[in-house]
Amino acid sequence: MSSEQLFEGIKNAIVDLDREECLKLAQEALDAGINPLEVIENGLKKGIQIVGTKYDDGELFIVDLMMAASAMKAAVELLELHISAELKQQARAGKIIIGTVEGDVHDIGKTIVSTLLAANGFEVIDLGTEVPSSRFVEKVKELKPDIVGMSALLTTTMPQMQEVIEALEKEDLRDSVKVMVGGAPVTQEFAEKIGADGYAKDAEKAVKWAKALTS
Amino acid sequence: MTEFTMRTGTGKPLYMTKEQIRSDLEDGTNWATTKAKIPELSGNEIDHILGILTRPGRQIGVEQGKGIVLTTDGGTSRYTGICRYSAMPVSREQAVIIGERFIGFDTFEIGHADYSFRPVKTIAMDEATVIENTELNSVIPVFYGAMPNLGIYFQSQGGKWPSPTDFMNEGKIDEARAVQESAAEDMTNDIVYVAKIFAKTGLDGLDIDTTAAAGDADFYGTLKAIETIKKETDLALEVGMAGEKVFGLHADLKYEGERLAGMWPHQQGLMVEKAGGDIFGAVINTDTGKSCPWNLARSITFVKEVMKTVTIPVHPNMGMGVGGIPMCEVIPMDVVTRSGVAMVELTNCDGV
Ligand code: B1M
Repeated sequence: MSSEQLFEGIKNAIVDLDREECLKLAQEALDAGINPLEVIENGLKKGIQIVGTKYDDGELFIVDLMMAASAMKAAVELLELHISAELKQQARAGKIIIGTVEGDVHDIGKTIVSTLLAANGFEVIDLGTEVPSSRFVEKVKELKPDIVGMSALLTTTMPQMQEVIEALEKEDLRDSVKVMVGGAPVTQEFAEKIGADGYAKDAEKAVKWAKALTS
Repeated sequence: MTEFTMRTGTGKPLYMTKEQIRSDLEDGTNWATTKAKIPELSGNEIDHILGILTRPGRQIGVEQGKGIVLTTDGGTSRYTGICRYSAMPVSREQAVIIGERFIGFDTFEIGHADYSFRPVKTIAMDEATVIENTELNSVIPVFYGAMPNLGIYFQSQGGKWPSPTDFMNEGKIDEARAVQESAAEDMTNDIVYVAKIFAKTGLDGLDIDTTAAAGDADFYGTLKAIETIKKETDLALEVGMAGEKVFGLHADLKYEGERLAGMWPHQQGLMVEKAGGDIFGAVINTDTGKSCPWNLARSITFVKEVMKTVTIPVHPNMGMGVGGIPMCEVIPMDVVTRSGVAMVELTNCDGV
């Protein structure tokens, strides 16, 4: 198969939510010596964009979005093993730790944001859900990320975002990172109020914002 | 140019000219039309809403004789607890009497602070006593409200079943679906169990609130519960939804041959009616990034279609963060009365 055919196949595998096929073709691309970064750019990202549009149009559902994201994540993980340290460094857009704040178990949106960031060259450390402020602080100290990302889906857990920012301030870490917040009830106005650096309405905007910050 | 005080989706004052309000109303109705493929509001209807929104007076009301049924959900928590700034030191039984005799509600609801059928199951007998006492003291129909809340059946929220999203993250769609079906069966049993106990107390009705909050399996399990409760008790059933679109976390569940995932309010209402529900509580969530006029026009467009589609009474939810009302704890009177009047006059809904 030519590289174009492989890219097309990988894109279609994502659109068909076919994880096995996606991994198989990603391996074929690696065996054929194709640059893994090109596979991500021309195959996986194109596929996930189509899935996103179909979801917005009501043609696909959350479960489909999650399946596509999981196929993409698995393929990115496989491809990453074959990206040289040097290339990785060149292509790395920045390091981001991300999590859903304490008291909140909603992880679907946050996982989609993580997956898309990873596919766009970010080193993403996903802390999962119900992440207490102390863990955000601990991880900032340990990993020295460029960005701290927080997600909240409940109006009752939104104030936790401010707690994390205050905890970072208390430990003199606030100036070392940019803070991005998101999740359905979060607004630009709220982000400004709690002193976050940025807000993104969806995963695509989150990637744009993160890129602008780290470029 | 004259500016009118509208509200943002978070409740802040927003000063808009008539043209700006009209433009937001048009965009709001257009959103519903484009996404749900339902008819748009006409130019006359937009003018009608515009007239209501720009009517002078801090609060407004419908014409004499055009009043509709006013009911509540969320238990008595708005009086006894949920909002720290306005809660009163009264019991739930007293709150119902306040609602009936001082505020003038036509029906009232009690519920437990832990507002889901699963926790209520373990205290059902104690709750039955509260229901009996309330029924003995009040004249208006009393509902008991709780959420089906499929989410709490999963381990991520302390439940028994593994979380379906964990399976999805591993690409295991069959397992993700199977676990939702099993959890939904447990949920159906819990709702029916509670309903049967409460039916013996003289309770007038059950409000199954925030249905489908955890997606289509949540909706499916609730519809199954409605079928059984209608067969086995004489409780009236009000079924309130969680949002304008049913999330497809399973995406392959059908009821009466129709796929539940992705259903819009008019389609949801039809399912509730087919299962045996007596009142449909349509819910259209407020987009906090948009103005209240935008949200109101979107809500009215959906509710009009519900009114055309279902024959049972329809009570659109018009409170914090739903039905064009801003997402804030204490809702400003100007916006709640204007939105209410517009909803009633434009849709002919049976209650709110
Ligand atoms: C770092 O930077 C960024 C940048 C962008 C970011 C970002 C971070 N994070 C997100 N984004 C953005 O990008 C993403 C992709 O484009 C987007 O992410 P979203 O997450 O917005 O979008 C996702 C792709 C899809 N959306 C979702 O995944 C949320 C869908 C709905 C249906 C929902 C779900 C699925 C669930 N729930 Co929950 N749930 C609801 C939701 C109803 C609704 N209509 O939205 C909502 C959010 N839930 C609610 C509630 C009340 C609850 N839920 C609960 C539980 C659950 C489930 C477990 C059943 C399940 C979560 C499963 C999971 N593992 O995630 C409970 C809370 C548990 C807890 N402690 O967290 C519980 C409290 C119910 C209860 N009484 O137990 C409501 C919140 C109301 C409010 N006022 O806050 C709710 C609106 C439903 C409703 N109408 O009642 C953007 O926001």
